[in-house]
Amino acid sequence: MAQVEKRKKKIEDQGQPVIDIGDGAAIPTRKDIGLFDAWRIAFFGAIAMVLYLAIFRPDPYLKIIKFVPDGIWVTFKVTVGAILLALVIGLFTGLGRLAGNRVINGVASLYVEVIRGVPLLVQLFYIYYALGRIVQIPAMSSAIIAMAICYGAYMGEIFRAGIQSIPKGQMEAARSLGMNKSQAMVHVILPQSFTVILPPIGNEFVALLKDSSLVSILAVADLLRRGREFASETFTYFETYTVIALAYLIITLFFSKLVSLMEERISARQ
Amino acid sequence: MRVYGFISTLLLAIGLCFITVMSDPVLAQSKKIRTITVATDATWPPMEMVDTGKNIVGFDIDFMNAVAKEGGFQVVYANTAWDGIFGGLGAGKYDAIISSVTITEERKKLYDFSEPYINVGQILVVPRTMKNVKGLADLKGKKVGAQIGTTGAFEIKKVEGVELKTYDEIGLAFEDMTAGRISGVVCDEPTAANFALQRAQYKEKFQIVGEPFTQESYGVVVKKGDKELLILLNKGIKAVKAKGIDQNLKKKWLR
Repeated sequence: MAQVEKRKKKIEDQGQPVIDIGDGAAIPTRKDIGLFDAWRIAFFGAIAMVLYLAIFRPDPYLKIIKFVPDGIWVTFKVTVGAILLALVIGLFTGLGRLAGNRVINGVASLYVEVIRGVPLLVQLFYIYYALGRIVQIPAMSSAIIAMAICYGAYMGEIFRAGIQSIPKGQMEAARSLGMNKSQAMVHVILPQSFTVILPPIGNEFVALLKDSSLVSILAVADLLRRGREFASETFTYFETYTVIALAYLIITLFFSKLVSLMEERISARQ
Repeated sequence: MRVYGFISTLLLAIGLCFITVMSDPVLAQSKKIRTITVATDATWPPMEMVDTGKNIVGFDIDFMNAVAKEGGFQVVYANTAWDGIFGGLGAGKYDAIISSVTITEERKKLYDFSEPYINVGQILVVPRTMKNVKGLADLKGKKVGAQIGTTGAFEIKKVEGVELKTYDEIGLAFEDMTAGRISGVVCDEPTAANFALQRAQYKEKFQIVGEPFTQESYGVVVKKGDKELLILLNKGIKAVKAKGIDQNLKKKWLR
């Protein structure tokens, strides 16, 4: 790990560009004029298209639009539930990865390695059906737990990087004021790292929102599942998936905008 | 350069000879025997499934092979997920579907069906712990599973107060019933029998409720207006029935 950090440092010193791309939607900022425009075009274009289809081609589009809203609600619940749980898991994983205790450090690292090595789809199947044989968990909760376990690993890495980005002097200063290590972590380090990790967390939220479509395989009636149910009964595959794609696009763009606004507020305060 | 030119001309000449020699019988054959691609969702035992040797087998497959023999055409199978199997036919990815497809009025509007080749019905399977269940109406307020887009799912939807849960494969619905997340599964009677009566891990846990509560017939699906293929299929199906092959297959695959 230290070697990787060193190499990264070396690359940065040599002035080579470092590519940093998350798997969420690109988050627009005011500086980024092109992306800002693309956001507007995509967001309002998608809304206009949904309205156009609903008004001028009510059969089948209006029927589809009326059929899927409870799916959007389920998608939303799964996403919010999973991100909240993932934040908790991520915080402990991040702290665990930085812990001096070899057992805690080992467990946290093992968790991250294992989760990052298994595709989310496989994890979902595994947690839902394999654990279903041992414990009885309702469908929605298992979906949320499965998503959270996966994203908790990635979240842990974000927390770790965020905490590490705070200069060592901060910890030393807090300690010299008489705080112990955990007090210093809670009162000094974590509040500062929060502003650093908020943007990547926002990115993860948008990514998780999109990945939540995978829970449709678990018979959880989310947006995609509702669409598939409608399509399989009416055979309007093209029309249904058009609406589903537009719905995801609108929701995703809405939240990525929200994330960028939040980010702006934070940087303005600093 | 010259040498390369010579060699490439030579190769071209050899290639052309080869193609002329080879293409004659191939052309002649394709005129006589048509090969049709048939989609099937091989997750529906005993009608269509994948065996341990990764071959697609089942009643429908044996039946289709017999029809092809009688009708004078060849069949290639494409294992396709049920969810979207009709869309693939519309998009021209294959010529026909044999996948325990019930002939319904809604489907007939968009696709053409062959003559029916077997009669089946939907049946309810519940855990053995559920006593006094005589039908879907007794499962009010409970969740009942079926495969997405099947007549079983449509039947559950019709019953007021029963919540439908749809699965990509019927096996996942039975697995979810083992986990206690749903209180019943509706599917075609032969498939229900296969899961609830013949599988060691489910035999002790599940029971079939009464008799099938619908009357349905399976047909082979083709694109709307594909008369040529329909005639070919119906000719084959007629011959298979006349020879009693379908009865033998029923004995082989169904209880």
